[in-house]
Amino acid sequence: MASVLPSSSTNPSASSVNSFLSAAEREAIKAATFQRLHPRIYLERFLEEKIRPDGRPTAENIEDPNAWRNVEVNVGSITTAPGSALVRIGKTTVVCGIKAEICEPELDNPDEGFLVPNVDLPALCSPKFKPGPPTEEAQVLSERLNEVLGNGMLSLSSLCICSGKSAWVLYVDATVINYDGNVFDATLLAMVCALKNVSLPHADFDPELHRTVCTRSETDPSKPARKLAIQEDLVPLAFSFGVFAGSHLLPDPTASEETLLDTYISVILDAHAQVLSVSQLGAGVDNYEALDQGVNNLPSSREADTLARCISLAKKRQAVLIKKVYNTST
Amino acid sequence: MSPNVTLSFDSLSRVDASARFGFGSCPQYLTSISGPIEVRLAAEQPSQATIEVHVRPLTNVPGTESKTVAVILKEAIQMEVIVEANPRTLIQFVVQALVPTPKVTDELVAAMINCCTLSLLNAGSIPMRGVICAVSVARVSSVNGEESMYKIQPVEEHPSRIQATGCFAFLFSDSYSSNTYSSSCVWTSWRSLHPGSLKAVEESELARARDAAQKPAREVWERMKSLVEEGERVKRKETWIKDASHSTEAKKMDVGEEDVNMEI
Repeated sequence: MASVLPSSSTNPSASSVNSFLSAAEREAIKAATFQRLHPRIYLERFLEEKIRPDGRPTAENIEDPNAWRNVEVNVGSITTAPGSALVRIGKTTVVCGIKAEICEPELDNPDEGFLVPNVDLPALCSPKFKPGPPTEEAQVLSERLNEVLGNGMLSLSSLCICSGKSAWVLYVDATVINYDGNVFDATLLAMVCALKNVSLPHADFDPELHRTVCTRSETDPSKPARKLAIQEDLVPLAFSFGVFAGSHLLPDPTASEETLLDTYISVILDAHAQVLSVSQLGAGVDNYEALDQGVNNLPSSREADTLARCISLAKKRQAVLIKKVYNTST
Repeated sequence: MSPNVTLSFDSLSRVDASARFGFGSCPQYLTSISGPIEVRLAAEQPSQATIEVHVRPLTNVPGTESKTVAVILKEAIQMEVIVEANPRTLIQFVVQALVPTPKVTDELVAAMINCCTLSLLNAGSIPMRGVICAVSVARVSSVNGEESMYKIQPVEEHPSRIQATGCFAFLFSDSYSSNTYSSSCVWTSWRSLHPGSLKAVEESELARARDAAQKPAREVWERMKSLVEEGERVKRKETWIKDASHSTEAKKMDVGEEDVNMEI
């Protein structure tokens, strides 16, 4: 295919603007224009050279830790909230704050508190979100996170202050500041780190006055603040993958890659690298040719291969990441 | 391990097609489909049809759980419908629960997927590249806790013996030879119910669970095919009876053979 990009010498209108830019900047503008006009071909050309648009290697070199973006975690930065965390995966940035309030427990479960996760995708994080009610994506994210966090990591009975009378409700609010793909992993990590960072004041329920009294640790040292009772074994970490054109496995997809994927795979591991849940939406790698050939047994082994590959990639990445997450959030 | 399913075509009058499906003896979901119909400008796509899925529980307004399931259904339907055939149109699904669903389990999601497929077959106006059938599988430990088996539709099992559950959806599509129908798994969801124990999910398990799900999914597909054949046979018979009453010399047509050879 001949070059589709006009050279600056033949395009008189471009030359007046480009005279202020260096050659490298001109090339960058051409590439950005091409990406806007033909996003699929842009990605295909990169993947042919075994590299992804942001410079990461494709999953051919599976052992390469650079296949994943850099993860930065910062906890406790919001002083007005009992727990908070800021997580950055590449350019995707999520900030999570936890507010603790007192409420009456449900009649059916008098010994349990509440954990209410919520994700907000405001218009500032990406041009694809407009101001208004939560989009479908925000709702799906909130529901998926609710499912993962409710898996037993935090014992809800530890949030009870007085059975049937008073309990803590933790509002876990995550806001995405910059959307560059793989928001689920980043948000889960932010919520988990924020939960580990939470420090609840000592609370007593006065049955005569029917109210709960909280004491600051500075005023009464005999009633210290306490951390949440989190089961370290069950702390989840999520790893997302995408499959492009049925043949390229892309771990940790960026926003531009996400729109072009035909298969999404999500693997959630606990602290001991055991699989908590796996989901694959779409056919696996190398599946389309199998449909043409009509071979009966081959497709199932290929899907199993893709998922098995993803699980082992996730386990390797988790070994690297768990140290970083634990070091910064205690 | 043949699944016990209830399936039927429904006759809602204002939509293009409808169907009911349920695992067990009563239908769990009623799905209606309208399409290809007019699409609103914001949702229009220039080169393919837009697919919208609305999931409605039996009680209450649809919440985030319904939204999540609707997204899964939309992705699954996108794989079986040839969306490039009708650009700038809308194919709208409404999935109504007929039983109370306090929590959307894997079995209910499988029933929803099958119900959508069944309504697509009833419509006939939407080109499809295959048929997607789904079943739910659970890994159940035996009574002494030593072995574990894979069972489908484990509602009757004791909850504490279920170690992990999941749902698998397969796309069945005709290939060159009419005897073998290739199938590929288009949706997998598997999670362990007792995290932290030694019996957590391993990679090889997924392959075994998927193999256990393939045959029951194929049987669901066979049931769907026989339901369509039945419908066609009744229609042909009615036409024959009408023709016979009009003409004095009615030639007897062998209707049965045609249906059996009809490809779906």
